[in-house]
Amino acid sequence: MSKNVLIIVFTEMRDKLRKWREDNHRNSEQIVDVGEELINEHASKLGDDIWIIYEQVMIAALDCSRDDLAWTCLQELKRQFPGSQRVKRLAGMRLEALEKYEDASKQYDSILQDDPTNTAARKRKISILKAQGKSAEAIRELNEYLEQFVGDQEAWHELSELYINEHDYGKAAFCLEELMMTNPHNHLYCEQYAEVKYTQGGLENLELSRKYFAQALKLNNRNMRALFGLYMSASHIAASPKVNATVKKANVKYATWATNQINRAYQVSYARCLL
Amino acid sequence: MAPELLLDSNIRLWVVLPIVFITFLVGVIRHYVSILLQSDKKLTLEQVSDSQVLIRSRILRENGKYIPKQSFLMRKFYFNNQEDGFLKNTKRKVVPPSPMTDPSMLTDMMKGNVTNVLPMILIGGWINWTFSGFVTTKVPFPLTLRFKPMLQQGIELLSLDASWVSSASWYFLNVFGLRSMYSLILGQDNGADQSRIMQEQMSGAAMAMPADTNKAFKAEWEALELTDHQWALEGVEEELMSRELDLDGMFSKELPTGIF
Repeated sequence: MSKNVLIIVFTEMRDKLRKWREDNHRNSEQIVDVGEELINEHASKLGDDIWIIYEQVMIAALDCSRDDLAWTCLQELKRQFPGSQRVKRLAGMRLEALEKYEDASKQYDSILQDDPTNTAARKRKISILKAQGKSAEAIRELNEYLEQFVGDQEAWHELSELYINEHDYGKAAFCLEELMMTNPHNHLYCEQYAEVKYTQGGLENLELSRKYFAQALKLNNRNMRALFGLYMSASHIAASPKVNATVKKANVKYATWATNQINRAYQVSYARCLL
Repeated sequence: MAPELLLDSNIRLWVVLPIVFITFLVGVIRHYVSILLQSDKKLTLEQVSDSQVLIRSRILRENGKYIPKQSFLMRKFYFNNQEDGFLKNTKRKVVPPSPMTDPSMLTDMMKGNVTNVLPMILIGGWINWTFSGFVTTKVPFPLTLRFKPMLQQGIELLSLDASWVSSASWYFLNVFGLRSMYSLILGQDNGADQSRIMQEQMSGAAMAMPADTNKAFKAEWEALELTDHQWALEGVEEELMSRELDLDGMFSKELPTGIF
């Protein structure tokens, strides 16, 4: 991957980092490569940008187990912003990375004492529980968190993931519904919701899942997963003994249409391969 | 027609331009002083939570048609239920923030006054005293005689047209005229924008009033009662299958496939 990153000019490096930061990429190895060079060679030219780059590189370094780099970044930030809650949270994250969960938890508690509305610290505490494998407790804490901060979409998504891991599909569907309401044009949430409904099973859920697969396809015509999902849910309903003839006929029609589209997609990909 | 007066060009050099500079610089200084004196507004957990609940209820009303009917009804029930619906039964303690009882509002008001009104009065008075006794400029539209004592302070000529004004009026013209210059140089929402602050003071107390929470809840409750569920996905399969899928650009290397 780093072969593609042939960046030489300092401004290009800085712009790349900014783009990754704004798009929320998690390509930690690249960030560490580019960021480390930027910090070591071009620190003076960065001006005030350097602080946010320190933060970005530190988190990437924690991802890559580069504790030395993370420590240097943290020291610089602590020196510049003593007493900042944002820096305290980064210190807590470093402790988490070193698996010193007790110390990290204490760190986050101290942040929350100063500012009970600080969402970042609360979320980190929940991720400590998740890292320790205590999913039941994590779910409980996350539920409490969401009771106060109903609008936090990241948290809803995390909760839906936790529920899926616990096979509690009903509650996962609830969380995904919240996400679908706040992001009605995001085809991925529709598709995930449809998959959860499909997994729950039962005729009603299958019908719902077929509808939401269709919606995901409507929002994004190229979503292959939704296309396959549509085919599977439609054929399942058609094969079920409990449906009447009209419903069966309609679903067979849907399944055939889906098959045709899948064939077309394979032809497109085959044509591309020949190019 | 009123006789055209020819003003000494020294007036332009030594009066008109200095007043513009003074007003502008005072405005910039005011902006930075207001930044220094700014106190952080701390929101309580309850306020944050309430505002998010209101947002969620509004989203439910607007986008409820994208989720199944059962889910919509479940949420509507949660909010509006007679016995224990959230919007119906949550009463927040209401403390209207009058300036007397709330010390932080008092200091905020004082700071606002000091940074905005006081300099204006002081500098206006100083300019009036320094640049007095002569006519500064002429406003391009005719004015009635009633404006004379206001705009011609210090000039005791009964027969002078009211369009000729003194330096104090030029100063006030500048204060309001340089507003757009401030937006250009200091960016939007700057502390030197006096007229905006005066408008805020006139329109009443600050936006985030706690008393509104109860009213906001009631308003949301009513709005939610009226909302019906029109499922947007009724005919989605037919709509989808009315035409072939647009597979353009699929499998191309440039397309960002998937999420990270």
